[in-house]
Amino acid sequence: MEQKLKKITSLATEAIKNCKTINELLDIKAMYLGKKSEFNDLMQDLKNLSSDQKPLFGKIINEAKQEISALIDEQKQIIDSQKINDLLKSQTIDISLPGKNLALGHKHILTKTIEEIEDVFVGLGYEIKEGPEIETDLYNFEMLNLPKDHPAREMQDSFYITEDLLLRTHTSPVQVRSLLENAAQKPLKIICPGVVYRKDDDDLTHSHQFMQIEALVVDEKATLADLKGTLLLVAKKLFGENREIRLRPSYFPFTEPSVEVDVSCFKCNGSGCPMCKNTGWIEILGAGMVNNNVLKAAGYDPMKFQGFALGMGIERVAMLKHGIEDIRLLYTNDLRFNSQF
Amino acid sequence: MKVSLNWLNQYFDQNIDKDVLVKKFNLMSQEVAGLNKLIDIDGLVIGHVKSLKKHEDADKLSVCLVDVGDEELQIICGAPNVAADQKVIVAKVGVVLSGNFRLKKAKIRGVESNGMICSLAELGIQEFDNEEKGIYVLGFDAIPGEDPIKYLHLDDYVLDLDLTANRSDLLSIRGVAYDTACMMNLNLDLAEPRVTRETSENPVSIFTQTKNSTVYYGQTLENVEIKDSPYWLKSRLLACGIRPINNVVDITNYVMLEYGQPLHAFDYDKIQSDRIIVREALENETILTLDGEKRKLVAGDIVITDGKKPIALAGVMGGLETEIDDSTKRILLESAIFNPVKIRKTASRLNLKSESSSRFEKGVDPYQTLEALNYACELLAEYANAIVVGLPSYYNTVKIKNKIINLSLEKLNSVTGYSYSEEIVEDILKRLRFKFKLKGDNFKVSIPSRRPMESYQDLIEEIVRIHGYDKIPLTIPITPTQGGLNRKQKTKRAIRNYFVGRGFTETKTYSLASQEAAIKFDQSTTKAIRIMNPLTKEREYLRHSLLPSLLNVLVYNKSRKIENIMIFELANAYFEDNEIEKLAILMHGKLDFSTWQKQDQSVDFYHLKGLLETLLKQLKVPDYIISVSPKELPNLHPGISAILSVKGKVIGFLGKLHPEEEHEIGIKDVYVCELSLNELLNLSDENTHLYQEITKYPSIKRDIAVLVKNDITAEDIISSINKTSKKILNSIDIFDVYFDKTLSNKKSIALTLEFLSSNRTLETKEVDNQIDKILENLKLDLNAELRS
Repeated sequence: MEQKLKKITSLATEAIKNCKTINELLDIKAMYLGKKSEFNDLMQDLKNLSSDQKPLFGKIINEAKQEISALIDEQKQIIDSQKINDLLKSQTIDISLPGKNLALGHKHILTKTIEEIEDVFVGLGYEIKEGPEIETDLYNFEMLNLPKDHPAREMQDSFYITEDLLLRTHTSPVQVRSLLENAAQKPLKIICPGVVYRKDDDDLTHSHQFMQIEALVVDEKATLADLKGTLLLVAKKLFGENREIRLRPSYFPFTEPSVEVDVSCFKCNGSGCPMCKNTGWIEILGAGMVNNNVLKAAGYDPMKFQGFALGMGIERVAMLKHGIEDIRLLYTNDLRFNSQF
Repeated sequence: MKVSLNWLNQYFDQNIDKDVLVKKFNLMSQEVAGLNKLIDIDGLVIGHVKSLKKHEDADKLSVCLVDVGDEELQIICGAPNVAADQKVIVAKVGVVLSGNFRLKKAKIRGVESNGMICSLAELGIQEFDNEEKGIYVLGFDAIPGEDPIKYLHLDDYVLDLDLTANRSDLLSIRGVAYDTACMMNLNLDLAEPRVTRETSENPVSIFTQTKNSTVYYGQTLENVEIKDSPYWLKSRLLACGIRPINNVVDITNYVMLEYGQPLHAFDYDKIQSDRIIVREALENETILTLDGEKRKLVAGDIVITDGKKPIALAGVMGGLETEIDDSTKRILLESAIFNPVKIRKTASRLNLKSESSSRFEKGVDPYQTLEALNYACELLAEYANAIVVGLPSYYNTVKIKNKIINLSLEKLNSVTGYSYSEEIVEDILKRLRFKFKLKGDNFKVSIPSRRPMESYQDLIEEIVRIHGYDKIPLTIPITPTQGGLNRKQKTKRAIRNYFVGRGFTETKTYSLASQEAAIKFDQSTTKAIRIMNPLTKEREYLRHSLLPSLLNVLVYNKSRKIENIMIFELANAYFEDNEIEKLAILMHGKLDFSTWQKQDQSVDFYHLKGLLETLLKQLKVPDYIISVSPKELPNLHPGISAILSVKGKVIGFLGKLHPEEEHEIGIKDVYVCELSLNELLNLSDENTHLYQEITKYPSIKRDIAVLVKNDITAEDIISSINKTSKKILNSIDIFDVYFDKTLSNKKSIALTLEFLSSNRTLETKEVDNQIDKILENLKLDLNAELRS
């Protein structure tokens, strides 16, 4: 009987190890451990043994059964994991094929530049003010210390709609409107971004339509030093931490004194390169202390109030920052250009 | 303003360092456009043409033997005026002439040439006189081998200043000298003119009949000899950009450059009276100006007349009839002040901008009219042998009054944020040569007429610029304010971000358009606003719609093989009563595509509609309706377009471009949308939006499919369902629309209905009842049948 048991066990072990599928394994399980299995036959044979041999052989048979059962479980795990591996292998894809082309949009570089500048000023406590593009002569010129026959009006050849109505030549009329709106004459810190127009033929550096952003501070103690500090801060934010600024005398009818503001060249760091025409400096904006005539026109007492204003062309800032040499690219909307930003 | 440095140096006891001058001007005064040698050619020599013979093989060429001091050179010259014994300018082999042309030894038709005899043009300047003769011939006193540039006084530098509108004082060498002295802290040598006058009486009398001329001095001079000016004078004019003509004209120009006071010389014998009357022109009066043009005048032009007819257009240009010529013997010299505005209007109307008019336009100092005239007399006496006849006749209505401006140290420091001391301010005022009195901390400054100023702000500018902008400290305004974007500005940013996130690219296009484009897509009846003075017909009207511009962008990109074009723009549209901010969208091609997976899908109306609806949801725009337009929308497909309304107000439209339009641009399947952003922003109620509780009870979903006639819309079905089941119906989703021939003019629409209660679990039976009712009403309302 022991011989027989050994033979069965070894046959079963062999069969289990060679088994490849779950179904086969179930068949083997039935064959060796089921009701009609050879083990069962052996169990039947036990009855014929003497009562002192019965427990001994019973134990041996049970042990063999347990051994086989464990082997089956083990093989089942092997088969299962093989199955999962095969499945994963069959599902494997070529990850080098291109990803789905989820369309990517782009803000216009002028919008991005404006938002960048707006954020700098908002951080300094400025409000954003907007106004109409069709302006009256009064707001666009006269209240900005540019009376009808002022020679500086020639600096800004304008598109007229009627004698008294024109496309604004700068965003300064928004400053006038904001001063007038501020009836309580509270401290005013605003920036005015927007579209402006000049009667220039479009070429590499001129555009009959362009964008400006101006800042205005009016209170009882805003100084030229405050203007200078603000300018340095803005220059650093826009063109990099290592920038320096330089003020040079200039002229605008709405400010006195007026200055041109240069920023140290961000390409050569001031040592001189084609970008800064070997001067180390790049002109970026105009600024000055608000002319008393502008304050008076808006009903402010210049003996009590003072302030500063600055203004820059968005196109110029964007072109400088991104090395764009033709202003017309900003209005052509070639998507190969627009999608670079 | 171009400034001769030799001329400027004349005012100082030392020659000014050029580099320092440029730096000072840039940082303290006006931007320097350039500082260049008047003639930037090295190695020119004076030559003496010893002998000359015709070239054997070329009639027009001469073979010259030229003594250049240390050697004799054979030079071939093609100029017709070359002659033996002339003193000439010679460029030897190796000299680089203007235009970066290096002279080489050459053989011209077999004969060797070792250099070139030059004209002034070949040195890069204008000729000294009118005739185009060829080479420039020097005087007999020129010494061979020496530097011809020195001989001609052309060894000069030109400082080119970009002047701002407030610094017309720098339109004169004297003005530049004042500023230079101030910036460099130098003494200024200002000599008074010395005139010797004949005691006889000036025969001319001067009158004015207009307030537009406040000062007029007229001086007659006799015995005038018209000839060339001396080299030094010619070269100074050239350096300042004025071409020499003859001694009289040159002297008037020279004095204008020195003083900033334009002068004019008449041939006195050609004036047909002794009375000069300044008046306003009569309408349609004419004058023949120096350039030979007959000018038609208008009231408002100022003219100088002989009592009857105009003999000069005041401040702008002289008359041809009284022009100085070679036979002129007596002249009338004018030094006057005219109204800047009138001069500007006349000059720009006649397109006659001159050195004279540009100075009058910007304002000329009225207190040196006589001094300038006297200086011209001094020069005419010396260089034209002129005899000054008596004292000038004149009128002068300008009252001498120096403007006084008060500036306290406290004001100065509170405006600048710097602590200027009394000493600094005193020093600067002295350097500016402004007279002042100091009382307490107040400077009472007398402003000279050469530097017109309005208020203490101008004075602050002078002090800051001379002391240096670099000395001003760096601070930040201390007044606390709260900044930020308002709701509208935030919403606009959100809209842009939304479209960018959806794959759209923002455009910026021009507001000005052609008349046709300006009103295309327009439903309003108002006319487009026209520009009075447009640049071109293409930019003559302010647009009502952004879409024509977006179509241009489409065509531009499509023709450059860009197939998928999803663009948007936020910009103003302009109407007679207001400006409206609009949002325009254009879609063409494929959005989110994947080529190799073959899942690409061209955009259609529903893409556009979905895009818009999602935006409206994001902006919390309540109760919007997208519906068929009651009237046809211009340029859109009548069957594939809709209007968007909110609270009963139409705020925009969307749809496919009309087939005719598509045909015109040669592009199919273009979808566009335009909304009034103003309305949209007004209607959005993001701020009042309240949260809704999320129900904890489960929902029940049911699918139904109904057969309806083709002309029944999804909207019809949805509103019937909504009407029937109000309380517990949570959502309706259309998941299939099916057309088939077998359905004979009918379509099948399949919907998922979701039922939900916020306060209890729904029972199946309840939902079944609802479905029955819904179907019943669909049958009643729309003759819809349940499709099984």
